[in-house]
Amino acid sequence: MSIAPKPHSALLIVGHGSTENPDSSTPYFDHAAEIRRRQLFAEVHCGFWKEEPSMREVLYQIDSDEIYVVPDFISEGYFTQDVIPRELELSGPTTVVRGKTLHYCLPVGIHPHMTDIILRRAREVAPGLDPAQTTLIITGHGTGLNQNSTKAIRDQVNLIIASATGYAAVLDSYMEEQPFIADWHQLSKTPNVIVVPFFISDGLHSYQDIPVLIGIEPEIGPAASQREVFRHNPHHLRGKTLYYCSAIGTERLLADVILDQVSDFDQIHKLL
Amino acid sequence: MPIAVELRKLIRSGIHRIGELEIQTDVYGYPYVLCHWLDSGLATESALGGLELHEGPETAREISTFAENGTYRFIKGQVNLKRGWVMALQTEEELRQALDQFYPASVGLFLAHRHGALEIENLRDKLQRQTGMYRFARTISDAGAQELVRTVCGPAHQCAKRILWQIDAHTPLDDSEASRFAGVPGDLPPAEAIPLLCREACNHFVAECRRVAKTEAGQKAG
Repeated sequence: MSIAPKPHSALLIVGHGSTENPDSSTPYFDHAAEIRRRQLFAEVHCGFWKEEPSMREVLYQIDSDEIYVVPDFISEGYFTQDVIPRELELSGPTTVVRGKTLHYCLPVGIHPHMTDIILRRAREVAPGLDPAQTTLIITGHGTGLNQNSTKAIRDQVNLIIASATGYAAVLDSYMEEQPFIADWHQLSKTPNVIVVPFFISDGLHSYQDIPVLIGIEPEIGPAASQREVFRHNPHHLRGKTLYYCSAIGTERLLADVILDQVSDFDQIHKLL
Repeated sequence: MPIAVELRKLIRSGIHRIGELEIQTDVYGYPYVLCHWLDSGLATESALGGLELHEGPETAREISTFAENGTYRFIKGQVNLKRGWVMALQTEEELRQALDQFYPASVGLFLAHRHGALEIENLRDKLQRQTGMYRFARTISDAGAQELVRTVCGPAHQCAKRILWQIDAHTPLDDSEASRFAGVPGDLPPAEAIPLLCREACNHFVAECRRVAKTEAGQKAG
């Protein structure tokens, strides 16, 4: 979906950020730079939970009176429903905060276009692979605390199955709940397996934890910015050929999904 | 007035420093040039004194992410910005974008403070709104929080921000190097720098409050 320019509005991309891993916030800045290049908004900014600028301070660096807030999160849950509204002092889809009108869009991870991005990632990491001989596994964190984080992944699995892409199987799996990603070889019946981490960045989980769980790294290694793990595809282990992608949120097309969420907000709330 | 326009006025009024950055004007045809203040003499020499040239604000995050020793600068007020580079900028808007990467929101916070529009949040209010794993931080004692300011904040502990908040409305911070610090690293008159302002405790400080609160609870239980 193309978006009409908003020369009097600002875009605020909200992310988690990290005090330990600088790669965690790289995708947010990359997407912001990409959207800034397109000159669709008067200004494009990032705000964070764990890094600076904090959500409480980022409004001070924005000139525009109208701000679209897009959570660059993978699912709806604690952060998008509790932390971000509290920190930005939002009381509904549109809130006036200290004279500025904030429109709170839905998180990128639940947009239907994420399906196209997953499939594109899978094709890129394993070009020419016969889908009929391949299992596609979408993996996330998983937690007993919030069902929404697994729902976003299950929704994507169902959408891919419905779109008849020819994969022998499309499965969900998680780090901390069943079905476990560590059991990928038992979950898959095919010789080829593609694992797509449904995370926003190549931070601790997708770059350091999951490679150990699936067996391509003997132990937790350094952060992504300090080496290259993804160049080694495919991995021949546990009797199968495994392809491991970088986190879905690092995909350049995520910038389009951020813009899609702005468009959708306008459509739903009749701001066009 | 747009932040970039206010920034231009500030620089014309004689301000040339924010954090560890020196802001120079009209250097080799560039309207604005940024560098580490300790490199400012080199930037005006021929061939930029051997400093690595960055054109445009895009690499500001890259330059400011790691200190020289490789540590991650997750708090941008840390006084360990890398040296050896110079950033050439063509407009006030580019300057603003660069500064918002080096010192996020700091120009906006300073302007709001000048206009009397900066909302300051005291520590107790900040801790009170924490949820999830940080909820426990609110149980920290005043003494524990005061001690943390002395041991976590201030330039001696790698943070160059001027603390504006108190423990609560009736409890100012105890006097210390951290609570006295004016937000300008290096020895410079206040009229020549944009101070880095701390309008509420950062999330690193909240995490430290939680750690101390847990220790205090353990001592009571013991």
